[in-house]
Amino acid sequence: MREMIVNELTQTTHELIRSFAQYLPRLVVMLIIVLAGLLIAYILKAIARSILRLTKFAKLSENAGATQLLKQAALPSSTELLSRFVFWIAWIGFILLGVSALGIGGFEEHVSRFFLFLPRLFVALGILFFGMLAAGFFSRATLLAAVNANSRSPRLLSLSVRLILIIFTVSMVFEELGIAEQTIMLAFGIAFGAVMLGLALAFGLGGQELAREFLERRLTRDGKEERENELSPL
Amino acid sequence: MSLKREPGWYKDAIIYQIHVRSFYDSNADGIGDFQGLAQRLDYVQELGANTIWLMPFFPSPLRDDGYDISDYRSVHPSYGTLEDFRTFLRTAHDLGIRVIIEMVLNHTSDQHPWFQESRGSRDNPRRDWYVWSDTDTRYRATRIIFLDTEMSNWAWDPVSKQYYWHRFFSHQPDLNWDNPAVRGEMWDVMKFWLDMGIDGFRLDAVPYLIEREGTNCENLPETHDIIKELRQKVDEQFPGAMLLAEANQWPADLRPYFGNGDEFHMAFHFPLMPRMFMGLRLEDRKPITEILQQTPDIPPTCQWCLFLRNHDELTLEMVTDVERDYMYDMYATDKAMRLNLGIRRRLAPLLDNDRRRIELMNGMLLSMPGTPIIYYGDEIGMGDNIYLGDRNGVRTPMQWGAGWNGGFSTADPERLYSPPILNPVYGYPAVNVLSQKRTDHSLFSWMKHIIKVRRSTPVFGSGSIEFLYPANHRVLAYIRKLGRETVLVVNNLSNAAQAVELDLRPHKGNILVEMFGRNIFPRIGDVPYLLTMGPYQFYWFRLRRI
Amino acid sequence: MVEETFLSDDFLRELINVGEVDILIGVPTHNNAATIEPVIQAIQAGILKCFPRERAAIINADGGSRDGTRDLFAAATISDVRHASKLYTLRTLHSISANYGNVLDGGMALRTILAASELLRAKACVVISPDSTTIEPDWVQRLAIPIYKDNFDLVTPLYRRHKFEGLLMRNLLYPMTRAVYGYAIREPYAAEFAVSDRLVTDFLGSETWDNELDRIGPEMCLTTRAISADFRVCQSFLGTKAPTDGTSTDLVSAMRRTAGVLFASIDKQFSTWSTNSSTHEIKTFGSPAEVNLEPVSVDRKRLYEMFVTGVAELHPVFRSILSSTTLEELQRIAAVGDNEFKYSAELWAKTAYEFAGSYHKSVINRDHIIQALVPLYRGRTLSFIAENEHSSAERIENNVESQCVEFERLKPYLLQVWNGGK
Repeated sequence: MREMIVNELTQTTHELIRSFAQYLPRLVVMLIIVLAGLLIAYILKAIARSILRLTKFAKLSENAGATQLLKQAALPSSTELLSRFVFWIAWIGFILLGVSALGIGGFEEHVSRFFLFLPRLFVALGILFFGMLAAGFFSRATLLAAVNANSRSPRLLSLSVRLILIIFTVSMVFEELGIAEQTIMLAFGIAFGAVMLGLALAFGLGGQELAREFLERRLTRDGKEERENELSPL
Repeated sequence: MSLKREPGWYKDAIIYQIHVRSFYDSNADGIGDFQGLAQRLDYVQELGANTIWLMPFFPSPLRDDGYDISDYRSVHPSYGTLEDFRTFLRTAHDLGIRVIIEMVLNHTSDQHPWFQESRGSRDNPRRDWYVWSDTDTRYRATRIIFLDTEMSNWAWDPVSKQYYWHRFFSHQPDLNWDNPAVRGEMWDVMKFWLDMGIDGFRLDAVPYLIEREGTNCENLPETHDIIKELRQKVDEQFPGAMLLAEANQWPADLRPYFGNGDEFHMAFHFPLMPRMFMGLRLEDRKPITEILQQTPDIPPTCQWCLFLRNHDELTLEMVTDVERDYMYDMYATDKAMRLNLGIRRRLAPLLDNDRRRIELMNGMLLSMPGTPIIYYGDEIGMGDNIYLGDRNGVRTPMQWGAGWNGGFSTADPERLYSPPILNPVYGYPAVNVLSQKRTDHSLFSWMKHIIKVRRSTPVFGSGSIEFLYPANHRVLAYIRKLGRETVLVVNNLSNAAQAVELDLRPHKGNILVEMFGRNIFPRIGDVPYLLTMGPYQFYWFRLRRI
Repeated sequence: MVEETFLSDDFLRELINVGEVDILIGVPTHNNAATIEPVIQAIQAGILKCFPRERAAIINADGGSRDGTRDLFAAATISDVRHASKLYTLRTLHSISANYGNVLDGGMALRTILAASELLRAKACVVISPDSTTIEPDWVQRLAIPIYKDNFDLVTPLYRRHKFEGLLMRNLLYPMTRAVYGYAIREPYAAEFAVSDRLVTDFLGSETWDNELDRIGPEMCLTTRAISADFRVCQSFLGTKAPTDGTSTDLVSAMRRTAGVLFASIDKQFSTWSTNSSTHEIKTFGSPAEVNLEPVSVDRKRLYEMFVTGVAELHPVFRSILSSTTLEELQRIAAVGDNEFKYSAELWAKTAYEFAGSYHKSVINRDHIIQALVPLYRGRTLSFIAENEHSSAERIENNVESQCVEFERLKPYLLQVWNGGK
């Protein structure tokens, strides 16, 4: 009996060692891939940082309002953030590659899904970024136009424009990422529709006089009374 | 003695204006004469002219170059005798050249026996042959013509102690045309010459025949009555003889001189001439077309006489002050060139001796509606001498050759009636008939050729004119038409090459045949006809439908 | 030579028919049938009076007028065919109209006129505004003669203006052009001016036409080009400036055409003006600028409100453009109340320079920078009006001069701001 147990033990141990010995190269490969990935990720981070600095990305992001947001959240600058993002994406990618080298069943599918997801992630980030940029630009443009046209509540107008654009952007981002697509679209549709309906009611019912005056002024060029006291600047 | 005169012969005439004194001296006395002129008629024929207009050759003290006549029925002894004149006339007619002579109706020389008698005493039978007055205040509204020399139209006669009327120089008293005796006598004078066989008269200074208080004493109805009377007599007794009016007036004021075809046959178109020079300088056809737009229609038997230059100054009476100043500044920068509201220069010097401009101006002269007159010497590009006083600078001896006195006379040069032109540019060694006859490309040869082309069709003399108004204002274009003959004339008034588009749609389908080289140009279609033209170039196209 | 083919075939054909000219008068239009006839007549009378012998042409560059403006020009030709007026001319006087597009485009209009001038080899090209209802025939002569006879390259106008018209010119464009470039040009953005053939060729060949901003304010561009490239510039007194209609009081668009172009020019030509420290004398023909002291009512309360609102609402924008000192000072004067409101010349000069510096650094979108200047300019206008309400012409002129001196004095501040300090 003791001999059988010892024999089994020895056999199992041998098998374990053999399996381990068979498995070890893959482990080594995985470690190599991960370490190489780390190096490459650092290089990519440095390249990304240089490119962003060259293209004056910091200014763009300031225009987008991103810089202020990040400062408030006590996060590093947008250039730095983006560079780190590039680093992590690169390294995670290599880690996943390394792990897939281990040959764990079913894992490859997840890895390929991750890599398929990456482009959409980048696009979504791009949409977010440009959306924020546009929101900043148009809200400032609205503010300036409203101030120069002596409108009431220019800030409100500006903020509304910014908000609408941000919501629109975020909706597009979620749609791109495929997160709660239907919910978001529906919610956006309802909210947008409600706002429009509200505005129509307000303008149409409550602001009839105003609407008429506005149209008259715009279409019949009757700005003379208002402009009478306006001096020619040139 | 006379050449057969078809009705309207003057419409196809090419008139060559000669002063017998300046043309050719046959007897070495330094003055041209009729015998000399007769010897040179073949030259006139070779040029292509078929009519000669002779400037006054009557006996005269020559204080106004013969326009101050002291004997209407004779020839100035310097020029020959009446017999010489007859010989000349016969020779001219034999060569197919008609002759019209000058007839100064308005005034005589104060040396004329009539005036001598008239001033003799207030009772003299010829007293009333001139216009006398106790004061110089009558006819105040009358302008003075010779502004540079005369202060008044009245001159005081110390002999008869009255003022006498003179529209020109004070030594040219005006005849009193209100006097029937004057009228009768002057008709007799005209008859004298018509009987001899001349083909017509250039009647000098006709607007001024009659004076009336309260008027400007020009173009009065009574003057027209006189002319009608003369014309009637001419038609009855000398059919075909032509009367040419010298009346420096605006076209509208000239029109009455044609009457209803019962006054003058022809009249000079004075206002057109300075405008041709103006248009050339401005490089703009506007002055030319506008004056012709203002020119009224004339009776079908009548004709305008066109000229570039003549024995007088280039008159600037019939232009506005702005135009006159422009002409002075462009053509008479030296004040010595200016005389009596005009410019006393010949054609070639006026055009800077630019052969292209001379050709262009002659081209217009020979293609516009009217009978052209070529002033002697201009066909070879003679120059002038503005320092000779009055208008004598344009009346210098004809330049026949490069030799002695330019071939004009074998007399001593000091004896010539006028020094010839001697400068290196226009002098007779450089500009003369003999040299120019030797080359096909001389101005003389060119003039011969263009006159020949002109005479090849009656359309230029008798045809209608319709101006085209291409958008390029530097191009003067017109259509001449007579019956089925149609000619298109296009003139580039600019010294730069031009492109011009002509609307020739009414003549669609015609092929253009250039009249000098007889080459064909593209057919007229629906699109504007594009022509490109060199500096000062002109085209004459015959329109041909085949 | 003009390389792009923006001239239509029809227009080119008409230019061929005009041929070489000595003087070209250009009039840019867009639905100006109401005011254009007296302008054309005055131009014609001016040509006939002062240049009767010269070859002249009137060129209209039209931006799609639908009120018959172009027909009026075409009918104004005086030739042996067309002759609507009773004027007598020695030579044909062409008047042709070109359509450069369907909308008003100042740059395209000027380019068309200058291209025509170059093709026709005009010695002098005079541009007249179609709104100049106070134009006199002598204006043509006063603009053209310095070029035609005295070999100048650019003639800018001087006017008799109402004391409170043209304040943008007097408070910003004139002092800044003078201080920065060293040329005391009263009207660097001119509605009427004249250029020589040399400057026409140079300007047509410049990069102006590639640049959107320069195309909307080419007049300003022309002035800065002339002074930076050492062309000979002078001024000529014309007469009373016509009162303008409502559309041209659009301050934002005026600011874009003028201050926008000025800042852009300063940005491009740094090397030219940064080393210049002297003021070039500008020859003046005729009397210097005159001021009409007729009283006029101005809604000062509105101006004040717009200034105060602007300072308050545009605070985030101003933070990017102005220094904190200047911004604080503006907030201080905005809080003072309209009776004691004063926007000093010094503060205004600093404001303008900081804006120019921010424009150079593109701290935010450049067009937004220009728009942001508008409420501050209103404040300065208010202050100017208050200071000069009862002033004599001489006093007003002195105040304008002081403004200029302030700009000149603070030029080192501009350089400092330019190179990074704030």
